[in-house]
Amino acid sequence: MNAIFAAIFLLSAALFLVSDPDAFLAAMLDGGQRAAVLSLSLLTVYCVWLGFFKVLERSGLSEKFSRLLFPVTRRLFRSDDRSALSLAGANLSANFLGLPGAPTPLGIRATEAFLAKNNAYAADMLFVLNATSLQLIPTTVIALRLAAGSAAPADIFLPTLLATLVSTLAGALLVRLTADRRTRRAGGRTP
Amino acid sequence: MKWVPCIIPVLFLSLFLYAVVRRIRLYDCFTDGVKEAVPLVLSVFPYLAAMLILSALFEKSGLAAMVTHALTPCFRLLGIPPEISPLVLIKPFSGSGSTAILSELYAAYGPDSYIGRCASAAYGSSETVFYILAVYFAGQTHRRLFFPVLCALVANLLGVVAACLLCRVL
Repeated sequence: MNAIFAAIFLLSAALFLVSDPDAFLAAMLDGGQRAAVLSLSLLTVYCVWLGFFKVLERSGLSEKFSRLLFPVTRRLFRSDDRSALSLAGANLSANFLGLPGAPTPLGIRATEAFLAKNNAYAADMLFVLNATSLQLIPTTVIALRLAAGSAAPADIFLPTLLATLVSTLAGALLVRLTADRRTRRAGGRTP
Repeated sequence: MKWVPCIIPVLFLSLFLYAVVRRIRLYDCFTDGVKEAVPLVLSVFPYLAAMLILSALFEKSGLAAMVTHALTPCFRLLGIPPEISPLVLIKPFSGSGSTAILSELYAAYGPDSYIGRCASAAYGSSETVFYILAVYFAGQTHRRLFFPVLCALVANLLGVVAACLLCRVL
């Protein structure tokens, strides 16, 4: 990540220097402002979902629900950590339903729980699944199409769903295929 | 698709009803959950800020346009129309940026054209990889994140290729 950050940052800064040095700081400040605005909107979204998840947890429903998903999540994440798997299962479900903002807090906690047990494979798998879109109904796109005056806004439902399936399966497969290679590398280089 | 907006109210209604029946102290419980919101946002903020500053630089320096220009022939080989290659490239970096591009494509080609449908499916089947990376691996910077990022990017690209192909057939 440090290499990607350095490469993009240096190249962009050099381009600004050649073309428009005045715009450099403005662009960075714009990024900072986006971060501030986004954090505020994340805070509002987390207020709602973290409250919801706490009720779900205390009611005992999340326990029942995660037991239902256990056979799938255990194999998918190669883990036996019940609480981490429960968080990961809830994260995937929130993704499927397309609940805006809800998967993130669950995903963050599940990732922390997996990494606390040194299960980098599970953390990577969860990240890639989240980063390949799991949403069953593309609500944002349908709304945008409707706003743009589409005659059949929901028409892209099937191609989108199939393409989502392709990207998610490809992601899971790639994590699985590169996993052994990575554990060998990690064993040699990181503590 | 009329039932889609009902998902969230139904979820809340059924859970809170169940909680009341189970005699759970709803107010105390809900506030306990909200308590975790501020620390969570604070913990991801530095990574989010760095990533968004980077994506602003990437877009506004013209680097994004140059990379798009360089990649367009490769994209064409994969069956991705050149019109949507900026969308494919910006999507991993910025949700708002890619939404803006999608709206522009709708305005230019119409949402029901091949380009419009293709862009819709490509947008809907991909994700903001670097944003999710920043948030999920906040504080895990000592790990090598190259492989998971590569897996996610390649998977997203395959999804877009599939989307372009499917829009031609379906």
